[in-house]
Amino acid sequence: MTGTEAEALLVGEDLQRVYRMGESEVRALRGVTFSIALGESVAIMGPSGSGKSTLLHLLGLLDRPSAGRYLFAGVDTARLDDDHSAALRNRAIGFVFQNFNLVSGETALDNVAAPLVYAGVKRKERTERAREALDRVGLSDRMHHDPSQLSGGQRQRVAIARALVTRPPLLLADEPTGNLDSTSSAEIFSLLAQLHSEGLTLVTITHDPRIAARAERVLRVEDGRIVSDENSAAYAQAGAPA
Amino acid sequence: MSYMEALRLAMRRLRTNALRTGLTALGVIIGVAALVSLIGVGQGTQAALTSRIASLGTNLLSVNAGASFTGGVRGAAGTATTLTEDDAAALVPLPGIAAVAPEMPVSNVVVVAGRNNTTTSLTGTSPAEAHVRSYTVQTGTFLSDVEVAKSLRVAVLGPTTVANLNMTPEQIVGTTVELNGIPFEVIGVTEPKGGSGFANPDDFVFAPISTVQAAFTGGTTLRTIGVSVNDPNAIAYASSAIELTLRSRHGLVASASDDFSLVSQNQLLTVASDQSATLRNFLIGIAAIALVVGGIGIANTMLVSVRERVREIGTRKAIGARRRDIGRQFLVEAVIVSLGGALIGVVVGVLVTGPVGAAVNVPARASLPGIALAFFSSLLVGIVAGFLPARQAAGLDPVEALRYE
Repeated sequence: MTGTEAEALLVGEDLQRVYRMGESEVRALRGVTFSIALGESVAIMGPSGSGKSTLLHLLGLLDRPSAGRYLFAGVDTARLDDDHSAALRNRAIGFVFQNFNLVSGETALDNVAAPLVYAGVKRKERTERAREALDRVGLSDRMHHDPSQLSGGQRQRVAIARALVTRPPLLLADEPTGNLDSTSSAEIFSLLAQLHSEGLTLVTITHDPRIAARAERVLRVEDGRIVSDENSAAYAQAGAPA
Repeated sequence: MSYMEALRLAMRRLRTNALRTGLTALGVIIGVAALVSLIGVGQGTQAALTSRIASLGTNLLSVNAGASFTGGVRGAAGTATTLTEDDAAALVPLPGIAAVAPEMPVSNVVVVAGRNNTTTSLTGTSPAEAHVRSYTVQTGTFLSDVEVAKSLRVAVLGPTTVANLNMTPEQIVGTTVELNGIPFEVIGVTEPKGGSGFANPDDFVFAPISTVQAAFTGGTTLRTIGVSVNDPNAIAYASSAIELTLRSRHGLVASASDDFSLVSQNQLLTVASDQSATLRNFLIGIAAIALVVGGIGIANTMLVSVRERVREIGTRKAIGARRRDIGRQFLVEAVIVSLGGALIGVVVGVLVTGPVGAAVNVPARASLPGIALAFFSSLLVGIVAGFLPARQAAGLDPVEALRYE
């Protein structure tokens, strides 16, 4: 493991998540233990149904574990109520989704500024910070466009700008290039890599070995368990294309 | 998220769905317009009815022949000769009484003037009738004591009756008309009191009581005695004085019921205004139903909107929206639609109140209390309609919402 618990941003101890579907139980996570340090870049890989999305939801405080302990920046998240979780998501976590999840009918600028509305930031400052974030992802010329007028790669960059606008330490990405062509994917890779080099902690779910190769660490999840946790150099040497 | 932010967000959202917003608001527009105009018509009806009754005579007490129904038992039916001219004369010296008019009506009298004719009611009465029932003469003169004393065949006509004979007051005064074939000289026409249809106060013929009794009804009995009191506050006092006087004149023992009944104009006014208030409330009820239906429309549209925006809601939760932020967003949208509809509805309502009133012959005007009632009801409707969708949206699980296809 990288880092000790003292400097770890995210710590999971025997995390379990059980869904009840009528009579039957689905054990999405069967006891997962990990520690992710501030500034690390981690790829989570695994077949569909392995529990990696469930893990990401727990990491992002969108869901609560059925058992086990999850510490966010040293705070036991079991003690957080819904409003605290929402505030933490707002300020400390940026989300990037496979299908972008931008709100159509609102401009790129309004989409990016949305988290600041919930943070209670004044309108003028919101606009300024949203401009900066769009500038950072190279879309300062598309600020007043509706998402429907943007390409997939551009939409994902808007989504990344939205994730960054509250300057969170952590960015959680769920298949960020899953809906993109290879050119756009490459753009998004390098953008994420650059953000990571500037100090952002990056946790990415991906099927794409190229993203995994760029991560410092790869967690492989199968049947609700972490089956391997190795640095990506080892992963690359094991035969994945760089 | 502040209400201001929620408002801004809702306005953007409603603009992008302008057609749907307009159709949803239409229900409220119709409800509010109906409420404003029907309240106006209801109040106009009440005012018209009240003023018409007031025009029949102020401080008026009517003594009617025949027993009143007291305790469900009709007392002394047919045992007394009920009212006579002597009874009327006996009321004159009572304290607080300004004028007493004996009245004997004959209904369905055919009036013929030249080649024209009309049917109306003939009332035998005395000069005091003008005071008691608030009539003034526009052309000619009213009945005089001499004409009553001599049983002259003279008549005073109401302006509507004259119009029904296709004549002007100036033309008819001085001519002779036939009442059921008996010639009468027209000596005067009264000023119009206003009114139409049933019980029109301007459609009548007055003749001396003695003449009517001699020529039409026979005997000396009266149907009613109209009494005008000096002071409206003295009506109760005058009523009991009249009752005591008539009971003693009719020789009624203590256990016997009155063989006449007393109705004051105030009682009539109360009854009439109660009835028109009932009518008004009925109209308000109908309009309120329209508004409630409009509210259901809002609730329905908002529920559809929540379904359509599940992923947006999930995303907003992921980026930090709390339950109350999401709830507020939907609640504010519903309230904006209802208030926007209310604003337009008030304008439409104010504009149509006059024409709607005219269509039912009532001088109607939108009133401020009516507008305020409609406006605040629609605010309430918006809040109630938005509550369920807002709660549904706020309660969505973020993980499921993000997965929703």
